[in-house]
Amino acid sequence: MLDLTQGQFVKHTVMHPFEGFEDLRWKKAGSMKYAIIIVCLLFIESLAYSRMYGFQYYTSYDKIFNIVPYIFQSFGLFLLYVVCNWAMCTLFDGEGSMKNIFIVTAYSLIPYIAGKLIGTVLSHFLIRDEYIFIQCFEVIGTAWTVVLFISAMKAVHQFSFGKTLALILLTLVAMVLVVFLLVLLLTLFQQVIIFVFTIYTELSYRLRV
Amino acid sequence: MKSLKKLIAAAGACVMLASTLAANVTAMESYDPYSYDRWGDAVASQVGYTAESFVDGQSIKGLTEYVSSMDGYEASKADWKDKMGLKEPADLYLAEDTGLLFKENSEANPNYYMFIADKGNDRIIVTDLDFNMVKYFDKFTYNGEELTLKKPEGVFVDQYTGYIYVCDTENSRVLKTDIDGNVDYIFEKPTSEVYSQDLTYNPRKVAVDKAGNVYVVVKSVTKGAVMYDFNGEFLGFYGANRVEATAEIIMNAFWNTIATEEQRARSTKTTPIGFSNFDIDDDGFIYTVTESTEVKTDTVKKLNPRGTNILSSITANEVTFGDISPAYYSIYTKESTLTDIDIGPNGELNILDFAHGRIFQYDKMANLMFVLGGTGEQLGTFRSIAAIESHDNMLYVLDSRKNSITIFRRTAFGEIVTEATNLYNAGYYEESEEPWRNVIKYDGNYRRAYIGIGNALLNKEDYKEAMKYFKISISRARYNKAYEGYRDQILQKYFTPAIIIILVIVVAWKVIKKLNQKGIITFPWQRRRGA
Repeated sequence: MLDLTQGQFVKHTVMHPFEGFEDLRWKKAGSMKYAIIIVCLLFIESLAYSRMYGFQYYTSYDKIFNIVPYIFQSFGLFLLYVVCNWAMCTLFDGEGSMKNIFIVTAYSLIPYIAGKLIGTVLSHFLIRDEYIFIQCFEVIGTAWTVVLFISAMKAVHQFSFGKTLALILLTLVAMVLVVFLLVLLLTLFQQVIIFVFTIYTELSYRLRV
Repeated sequence: MKSLKKLIAAAGACVMLASTLAANVTAMESYDPYSYDRWGDAVASQVGYTAESFVDGQSIKGLTEYVSSMDGYEASKADWKDKMGLKEPADLYLAEDTGLLFKENSEANPNYYMFIADKGNDRIIVTDLDFNMVKYFDKFTYNGEELTLKKPEGVFVDQYTGYIYVCDTENSRVLKTDIDGNVDYIFEKPTSEVYSQDLTYNPRKVAVDKAGNVYVVVKSVTKGAVMYDFNGEFLGFYGANRVEATAEIIMNAFWNTIATEEQRARSTKTTPIGFSNFDIDDDGFIYTVTESTEVKTDTVKKLNPRGTNILSSITANEVTFGDISPAYYSIYTKESTLTDIDIGPNGELNILDFAHGRIFQYDKMANLMFVLGGTGEQLGTFRSIAAIESHDNMLYVLDSRKNSITIFRRTAFGEIVTEATNLYNAGYYEESEEPWRNVIKYDGNYRRAYIGIGNALLNKEDYKEAMKYFKISISRARYNKAYEGYRDQILQKYFTPAIIIILVIVVAWKVIKKLNQKGIITFPWQRRRGA
């Protein structure tokens, strides 16, 4: 039973929100290759959603273009979540490995990406009065992803529902903490660099005199 | 190698040529004209008005002769020297006379007069538009008594009755006088309880509406203009500004609700900032400007007779008057300080920015048309911009530190923009297309020209072209409308053929499948499998 290829497993998990991830775990399936493709799609989606949306709905400030924010929004945020979730689950005795978390999180993002991409394409054909259709796709995609996401976390760590929610919340807190520490680190390093540079300038002036 | 050098030389020559060409366009002006694009970024633009000449006291014809023939004139004394020219002039009023002021004018043959409130010399000078002095007021008679002015800051002429209103600021009164200097009525500090008697009464500007109500801007009053009826009876305050809801004010409001009566009395009162100047248009609407760098609400208002602001219902979006972003210098920032407003003949709003010495001209829908002027000493720039009046295609701008009036004349570019704007605002979209296309020839950055052309094309149902222009001008809502029309056209054109083709394909598929099932035809892949 359930002798699916890796590609069929992707479809199976997305179409079966409640047992798909359990099956995935049971069969020790899930491929890193597909997961990475999905994260790349997430990046493309975030780019398309903010730069290629229908002109009648949204116009981006096109005098400058900086790709770094989009990289952070997609790859950065995703990796941050995976790392923090893994860190948190070790405290909670979760069963998922870093690789498993990576795979199931990526799989669960498929409806969200699809909804947003369909919305972006539709926005070129619909007028403002018909925005409800676009919204429909985007909302359904997002809601589906939320369901998949919770189910994925529950399956990969073998948690109860309440514990899963607690884990997700704590992961979010951990993410905020990590970002805070990163900013702090960056600022401190900046200070150090300025300090070193000041000493260098001071010395170079004195040597010249 | 040689060809590369040639190429570099050619490129260099091109750049130099281009820069001289670019410089030539603005060589006439002593400042860089600009405008704002869709994002609120300043972009280079053309001037709508060019500074033509400069009138100081000495160039007012007849003033020198008049002053030197006055009693007690001594050429060597400083205050008589001052009287030869203007000294800190504070206000300008351009009146159309149809015979109420001077007998030689009539309804059919009106004439225009410039009233200059020469604050530093305590007088009002009246000239015609060629700056020939026609009247000189430093004394008035009231019931046989002689009145003199002290630092008058405002002057207004009621075009319906021909009475002149003068703000005699330091004497705390407003004089209503005829052209011969006979004072008819003196407006003084109201004795009503509504007017707090601790407040001083220093009228700065005055205006009169059609019904004869008199509005006076008083420096110390923040509740709006002091309003009198035509008998001089105090009616109340008119058109107060709102208090901007900053965090501090919301905090104070919160504490006041839980504070005791005693505490409340001791706390600071929040008062709005009083407006600094106003003008009245031909329909009787009063436009006010507020001279404040901190407050962004209500800097420009259009008031209906009830005193409510109706400007927001005219304009599509919230408009920032003056410069959109402040000018940042190394030690301070300079925000626009709106000091005077004038309503032009086509309903344009001419607004003065004291901080940057600039004139902003908006059309009657509050779309920015031109930005003129700057700070400096050259013609067309200002040191202390004080008042503006407009007539036909001219702007008269008073500078109270240069003691002069700068005269601007509309340029060819300005004429086309004005023509296009007037047609457009009157709803003649298709007629405005031609002038808008000419505007683009002058200034490709002029965003409203693209909107104008787009709307003209939209009216002509040329949706595809309209979409192009709306895309250039980045106006989404209009693009949406054009796209809706375009899509309908496409659907109307291709809907029937598309449906027919789809039906044909579906039917053909069904038939082929049926034939296949009966074994009459076989598909290539089926044949291969069989073989």
